[in-house]
Amino acid sequence: MSKFHIVVDLAKCVGCHTCIMACKDEHCGNCWLPYTDEQRREDEKWIRIKRVERGNYPHAQVHYLPSICNHCDNAACIKAYPDVFFKREDGIVMMDPVKAKGRPEIKDACPFGAIDWNEDLQVAQKCTGCAHLLDDGWKEPRCVQVCPLRALRIVKCDDGDFEKLAMVKGLEPLHGAGAKPRVVYKNLHLYKNVYVCGAVETTGKDGLKTCAKGVQVELCKGDEVVATTVTDMFGDFYFDKLDKNSGEYIVKVGGQTLKATVGAECADVGLITL
Amino acid sequence: MEMTDKILVSGTLFVLDKTLNALAAVFPDFKEELLKKDNLTVQLKLRDNSYGRCFTFKNGKVTGRTGIFNSATVVMVFEDWRIAREVVALIRNQMDFVNAAKQGQLALHGPDEDAQWFAALLLKVFTAPLLSTGLYGTKMKNGEMRYVNGTNGGPVFVYVKDGKIVRMTPIDFDETDADTWTITARGKKFSPPRRTTLAPHAMAQKGMVYSPKRILYPMKRVDFDVNGERNYENRGVSGYERISWDEALDIVCSEMVRVRKEYGPGTIFGSHGSHHTWGNVGYYLSCLKRFFNVIGATTCLHNPDSWEGFCWGAVHHYGGSTRNGGVEPYNTVEDCMQNAEMIVFWSSDPESTSGVYAAQEGTIRRNWIKDLGIEVVHIDPYLNSTASFLGGRWISPRPATDTPLALAIAYTWITEGLYDKDYVATRTYGFDVWKKYLLGEDDGVPKSPEWQEAITGVEARVVRALAREWGSKKTYLAAGGIPAFGSACRTAFGTEWARAMVCLLAMQGWGKPGINFGGLQYGTPLDSRFHFPGYADGGFSGDCVTSGAMVSTYNRVPQTPSLNSVRQQIPRLRLPEAIMNRELDAFHVHDVHSVTGQFQTAKYPAPGFNPVKMYYKYGGSHIGTQSNTSRFAQMYRCDSLQFVVNQSIWFEGECKFADVILPACTNFERWDVGEMSSSGGYIDRTYLQNNHRVIFVQHKCIEPLGESKSDFDIFYDVCCRLGLGQVFCEGNSLYDWVVRYYNGTDMPKVMPWAKFIQKGYYVVPPLPENRRDEVAYRWFVEGGKKNSPELTPLPSEYAGRYAEGLQTQTGLFEFECNTLKRFDPNDEERLPICTYIPSFEGRETTELYAKYPLQMISPHAKFSFHTMGDGKEGYINEIEEHRIKIDGYYYWVFRMNADDAAARGLKQHDLVEVFNDRGYVICALDITNRLPSGTVHSYESCADYDPLGEPGVSTDRAGCVNILTPERMITKHAHGLAVNSCLVEVRKWDGQVRTWEPMKSTYKGDKEVKA
Repeated sequence: MSKFHIVVDLAKCVGCHTCIMACKDEHCGNCWLPYTDEQRREDEKWIRIKRVERGNYPHAQVHYLPSICNHCDNAACIKAYPDVFFKREDGIVMMDPVKAKGRPEIKDACPFGAIDWNEDLQVAQKCTGCAHLLDDGWKEPRCVQVCPLRALRIVKCDDGDFEKLAMVKGLEPLHGAGAKPRVVYKNLHLYKNVYVCGAVETTGKDGLKTCAKGVQVELCKGDEVVATTVTDMFGDFYFDKLDKNSGEYIVKVGGQTLKATVGAECADVGLITL
Repeated sequence: MEMTDKILVSGTLFVLDKTLNALAAVFPDFKEELLKKDNLTVQLKLRDNSYGRCFTFKNGKVTGRTGIFNSATVVMVFEDWRIAREVVALIRNQMDFVNAAKQGQLALHGPDEDAQWFAALLLKVFTAPLLSTGLYGTKMKNGEMRYVNGTNGGPVFVYVKDGKIVRMTPIDFDETDADTWTITARGKKFSPPRRTTLAPHAMAQKGMVYSPKRILYPMKRVDFDVNGERNYENRGVSGYERISWDEALDIVCSEMVRVRKEYGPGTIFGSHGSHHTWGNVGYYLSCLKRFFNVIGATTCLHNPDSWEGFCWGAVHHYGGSTRNGGVEPYNTVEDCMQNAEMIVFWSSDPESTSGVYAAQEGTIRRNWIKDLGIEVVHIDPYLNSTASFLGGRWISPRPATDTPLALAIAYTWITEGLYDKDYVATRTYGFDVWKKYLLGEDDGVPKSPEWQEAITGVEARVVRALAREWGSKKTYLAAGGIPAFGSACRTAFGTEWARAMVCLLAMQGWGKPGINFGGLQYGTPLDSRFHFPGYADGGFSGDCVTSGAMVSTYNRVPQTPSLNSVRQQIPRLRLPEAIMNRELDAFHVHDVHSVTGQFQTAKYPAPGFNPVKMYYKYGGSHIGTQSNTSRFAQMYRCDSLQFVVNQSIWFEGECKFADVILPACTNFERWDVGEMSSSGGYIDRTYLQNNHRVIFVQHKCIEPLGESKSDFDIFYDVCCRLGLGQVFCEGNSLYDWVVRYYNGTDMPKVMPWAKFIQKGYYVVPPLPENRRDEVAYRWFVEGGKKNSPELTPLPSEYAGRYAEGLQTQTGLFEFECNTLKRFDPNDEERLPICTYIPSFEGRETTELYAKYPLQMISPHAKFSFHTMGDGKEGYINEIEEHRIKIDGYYYWVFRMNADDAAARGLKQHDLVEVFNDRGYVICALDITNRLPSGTVHSYESCADYDPLGEPGVSTDRAGCVNILTPERMITKHAHGLAVNSCLVEVRKWDGQVRTWEPMKSTYKGDKEVKA
């Protein structure tokens, strides 16, 4: 049957945070019982945006990582509180707002931090996928509807078909796949991976320093060449999608070799003069 | 003919009382309207008393009698039968009505409230069936009503239930809406999705409507006594008490009359913020303009605070004065997509600023850049949102040093022959003079990449690489967000940067395929011919002089003219000195009708005027948005302003300095009409930033909260007490004006009012591909006549034949500006050619730099629209890149590099004290890789002001970083700010409140003459 999946594309998230505003618009001051009670104006977000910074000037990048309830098929919350959480046929994980009253401990049931505690109403709450709207004929939850590039996109299809799509498009969950999350990510390397970068310069005929454009650069792990690239118009090069803490690399360019150590952050080998 | 007129008039008036009673029987709203007047008699008659009919309103009933009765309270007089017929006819020609009123052929006598009530009642005969039965909006199957309204960041569907706004959403088009356009570029087809987008502040509007900071009833400062002690020095300190509308209006109106009678005309000063609501009729350039005109206010001369460098600099090279130096945008999106190989975004962050008003329309198109294979480069001290989204090389010059970087590019082009020599030879003037300067033939300093490196901090090789790529690729230049704007144009001598931008483009052949201004933000292939004005086109102001009405609504929306007879203005950036010193030396006015208009000067007080005595303030944004703004707080706390009234929606910023506060409602609580991101006026055809032209009714979605009222109704109430009620509104309600306005546009030709008000919006079909506008300035390249669909420059601006060439003396692009040569060829702050002038506040000012070694930029905010949406306990507070909640308080965000933070022992989210000699502001620290060491960043436009001690002279913790910015003008012969040339130091806040000395007034008590 046609089920609910959300695909988040980091390359399309411009960091406008309008999704959070839409979620607040829908849920603050509105009570959608029996789906959910009101969201607090302050201190409560059912969708979160984390800024991800990689590298430093001039090789800095900034991306944004949206996260919402994963509506897991193997949900820790359902296991921990089967009386509160339940799975709808379309895959959305719902919670009973009456049974979640007065139980702040429920907040800790989600290993991914998707559950909030509403101090005003003394109730645990989370994203409902705007189920009250979907059941009323709406095609998308509010956060998706307002997303300018559909960096948040809803895909309604059979789970089997979605799995194939995920495979082809390289979609992956933000957290462990064991929970079988229904929210999956595209271009997640912009969040979880790091790069080795640098710049190459040369001396022109006029004796002036100039950016070395179109120069081949190799990235080696030990003796093995793991990637090659060509410098851009500013002589800059990037080797992206490296695992964090993957250790020592060697950058080879124009007969020179430089060491790069990849820890939790990107490694910039700096300016190389040919 | 007269016989027909007689029959029509006497017949219509004979049934009028019956009609009114019948309507009252059917519509309870109408009955309620009749019940408002107990025993009111209205006489309608011909002037010669040859015919009359009289109506008495009592207990909700109307009775009519034929004849002349002297007892009537309200008398409507017609010159003759024809005029009477034209006015009372069921289908009335608005022009006949206005003409009759203007010529004295129609008069309405009696107390304003009663006369206006009766005039409005006659109009309600037509509107009652529609408004009373709620035959507008779309009824949803769950019982909610879906209305339409507008914001500064896109139109919205507004869902309402039980008189309360449930939600707002962007507009998803339906199958009956016009089709969209397709651009074919590089073998691919591109079309935008069939929907509107919303800016974050637009999506947060419901939270603003229901903000706890809403002012719900009129208030008076507790220690203000209009007949006794006024305690000026307590403004901003003493609290408020609730008063009735009657009491509030009595105080306001009696003060208006008092200061005018005691001190003469123009002693009421009126000013407003640039933005707070949306709509063409109820907004400041319509409703407020008419109000200030009829009361005769001294007005606030606005500096072009987003354009600055373009207005005071770039115009001299090519014109564009009516756009404040901004450029034509026509069809540049298609040209860029088809022909450009590179886009240079220079101080350009449309992902944060939406261009202006345009939600995330441009985001859709910029996402195509990767598919098109266009290279991008970003030059901005801050790794802005456009750069983070698009990728591409980020070049971070030190703040206010963009000009030397640009000069080095021009130098490289000259020395390497990488510019369009034919274009420069045939389409430009004075290049050799600039070339000499660039090569250092004048001063011995070649403006080379090596030269600029010491100033900008950008490596020479990087500048050279950029120059070479740019010089060999068809390149679009996004200089600022739309383009025009950009924080670089708001630096010390940012005039020179804006000048450099147009000069660089002229060197490359501005207007040739693939070579133009733009970053896919402005210039979409929409119908630029369909007439619907923008908010700056005058609305119902009737003011053809100080709005875009002359171009857009004159002759189209029949109305009586309105003009302010007070020729006194106060320049906004010098307002505090004007108030405190009660005089100002010559300042530059901002007349956009010609390039030389900006050379005009004026003085304050104007000849024959007294300094202002009363301040009528509309909204309260100056402390967050202008320069060295603690001055604005200090200004209130002296007796120079004898009375301050603030008409505001929210209790914020300057509102807290008023003696009386009048509560206004949001545009969701009143009628209006507008178009998505269309200002018109100073940004003609602003809607060309959109993917669709969406024109909408702004339904009155809910009743005004509390006792708040629409600005229109507040102004009307004030006017009535001054006998100006009819003069202000011509007997029309806001709704009536909205209909009149609609009738003056092309809308009635495509959608009747009944359909428009029901559905709420109309999508203007884009022109077919073969009728798209020619690309901007292509006509100039080809040496032809200007063929852009606009009326400016004015015909008198052409030296040669009309419409041939640019708005310059030579008609050519002038590298050496004749206007500046004529004005002052030796003005070292603005020479006839574009030059590098070291900043008056930066690394160059070594003594100050030693004390305050961080250069702060404060660009336009990303999440709020100026102050709109910030604070007020709204949803935007929850965005951690906007404000950070620490110990229960939402602090403004201040950004710096990790090295700079470490050097000061600062950690993420520390409360920091940002300071210089001008003051102290507390912010929350965000450590980021978006800045190189030495440059710090915090957005401008904090909506609130929260001094921890005495207002104006103590630490602010709301986040008004403009307290720290220099008040010096961008260049001496300008009225423009340079807030991005600002040195500060930062340290962890120890919780102490610091204070500083206030400005000293130079007033010696000799400037006023009292009656």
